[in-house]
Amino acid sequence: MNSNKSNDTDISRTSTSTSIGAATASTKASSNDFVRKLFGILERGEYSDIVRWTESGDSFVVLDTGKFTTQILPNHFKHSNFASFVRQLNKYDFHKVKKTPEERQTSQYGELSWEFKHPFFTRHNEEALDNIKRKTTVQRKILLDENAIVLQSNDQQGLQDKSTVNLILSNTVTREKFNSLKRKVERLQKDLDFAKEERYAAKLEFQKLNAKYNTIVESFLTFKNVNDGLINNFNQLCSMLSSRGFDLPQNFYDQIDVGNNLNKTVNIDQKLAKPYDLSNANAMVPGTLQNTPDAEATNLSLPLQDVTAKPVPEVESDGQSALTDGFHVLLVEDDAVCIQLCSKFLRKYGCTVEVVTDGLSAISTLEKFRYDLVLMDIVMPNLDGATATSIVRSFDNHTPIIAMTGNIEDQDLITYLQHGMNDILAKPFTKDDLHSMLIRYLRGRVPLSKQQLEKQPQVQTRPQSQAHSELQSQGQTQSQTQSMAQARPPLQSHHSIQSISGSVSQPPSTSVSEGDVKILIEDEPLLKKQRV
Amino acid sequence: MPIPKEIVDWNILNEIVSMDEDDPEFSKGLVIQYFDQAETTFEQMQTNLEGAGDLKSLANLGHFLKGSSAALGLQRIAWVCERIQNLGRKKENRFPGKEYLVYQSPVEMPKPGDYVDTRIPNSQDDSFYLKLICEALEQARYEFSLARKELSAYYGAEL
Repeated sequence: MNSNKSNDTDISRTSTSTSIGAATASTKASSNDFVRKLFGILERGEYSDIVRWTESGDSFVVLDTGKFTTQILPNHFKHSNFASFVRQLNKYDFHKVKKTPEERQTSQYGELSWEFKHPFFTRHNEEALDNIKRKTTVQRKILLDENAIVLQSNDQQGLQDKSTVNLILSNTVTREKFNSLKRKVERLQKDLDFAKEERYAAKLEFQKLNAKYNTIVESFLTFKNVNDGLINNFNQLCSMLSSRGFDLPQNFYDQIDVGNNLNKTVNIDQKLAKPYDLSNANAMVPGTLQNTPDAEATNLSLPLQDVTAKPVPEVESDGQSALTDGFHVLLVEDDAVCIQLCSKFLRKYGCTVEVVTDGLSAISTLEKFRYDLVLMDIVMPNLDGATATSIVRSFDNHTPIIAMTGNIEDQDLITYLQHGMNDILAKPFTKDDLHSMLIRYLRGRVPLSKQQLEKQPQVQTRPQSQAHSELQSQGQTQSQTQSMAQARPPLQSHHSIQSISGSVSQPPSTSVSEGDVKILIEDEPLLKKQRV
Repeated sequence: MPIPKEIVDWNILNEIVSMDEDDPEFSKGLVIQYFDQAETTFEQMQTNLEGAGDLKSLANLGHFLKGSSAALGLQRIAWVCERIQNLGRKKENRFPGKEYLVYQSPVEMPKPGDYVDTRIPNSQDDSFYLKLICEALEQARYEFSLARKELSAYYGAEL
């Protein structure tokens, strides 16, 4: 719509000017000297390695802006830099020919070339240059000048012409005004659209931050649990050793004290715990708040409520009833025994299972299909699970990816989380360990296969036995959902999570009640397990 | 953590056996598959020790077998495999003597810290670790024969 209107104005402007001033080419020549100079350079082809016509001849291209600035501008134009030259071109209604990055790369004039276009600026067509004029503000003045010229040169024809010219002139002026108003309205419309878009983007961004925040809080809880477990183990070990008459160095006890102090500070923090504070929220999500007026303080407190509310029903639920059937799980594992065992457990919980045996196939499978959950071994041939996850995270931020590993040393755990894995299931795990992980990530969710059923009721899926037919039917609708997911801007990198984590470290400890932490600890499979 | 006293952690294996309810022979099939896998892995370790002597592959093989052993509750084998993994990564530089490792040994197992002797410099060349892995592999095969005997008795068949 916009482009149509601007075309209209272009045409009306040029047609009036030609009708008035056909006989005044010589005077006009001076009015677009700049364009003629450029035309001359292009026609003579004296700098063809720097600037030349494109093959079609209806546009010209600057191949090397650097040389253009140093060699051509000082000798032929009064512009001191390329930008001001481009501004001048724009004033004459030249437009840069826009190109996508791919087109740029394949452009025969090089990636850094600038192509400009004007409908009347074509090769070997000097006459058409008359139609090229400076735009808008100057426009009216030029028209008046022309009027004067017309009157002088045609004074023999007298009043008749004068009245016609006046008529045309007054007509032109009102049109000009009209057009400028129209442009203003268009600009406002554009601004409005832009603002709307921005608001929407900000909202999205905010939701994404919320999700990240959730993940971070959860990671912190996991860390805390792991840490507490370690301290517990350590305490047990120390008491066991001392009960057997081993002399422990003093600094061992000091370390235990550190652990106790840590717990104490957490407790104190919990006494201060309050519903999530808006001022904190402001600090956490800088800038986004004003853009999303519907994100009230109540919304901001949601993530924490989620986190704290989550574990409570887990304990109440008797287990299986909480999980719907039909979740589709991708199992990435290279050990045949573990594959059999784990997929058996998963099927027992009503999941359908797809197995791949290394990191590379995991990536290519996740590119094609979506799963409700991914269970990923770490040490695998071809590509390890952590690296595979970080690649998957470049196009899929949503699917929960759980590490399955026997390496549960702190440094390893941190590495896995930094690579974008959501959680860790320590090997060997029991059926219950696996179940609580499924509960944690799938409880209350509708399996993807059933979401598609709602959209496409004609597709029959039988989750228990016919994983393959289901996968195929899923594959068809998959491409749509997948492309939607890809259209979302991917997470920049997982370092961004790290960078936020500094500022987030406080809220979790203040707002998670002691009871919740205890429940989480009880639920934490890592802590029930001795290291193998 | 010292080597576990029992060959099988029945908490773990019983859970797998309970899956036989709706799929008879499931656990037995899994155990047989594991035995095949373990023997293959031992052969790969042996070949590596006699040939390339590549610590990294040995560590990976150790890690691999540790996973499936632990999954079935074969905790003593898993323990030895972890030693192999750590020796291959040069994170440990000692392997306990046989007197501690015999099944139901009356001798108290050394502390975990004893697997790393800080007096031994890190700069030891690979052959030093390869020799320890040789000992560990021998131990792993011994544990394997114990596990096979115990599980054969459990299933009442030669596995």
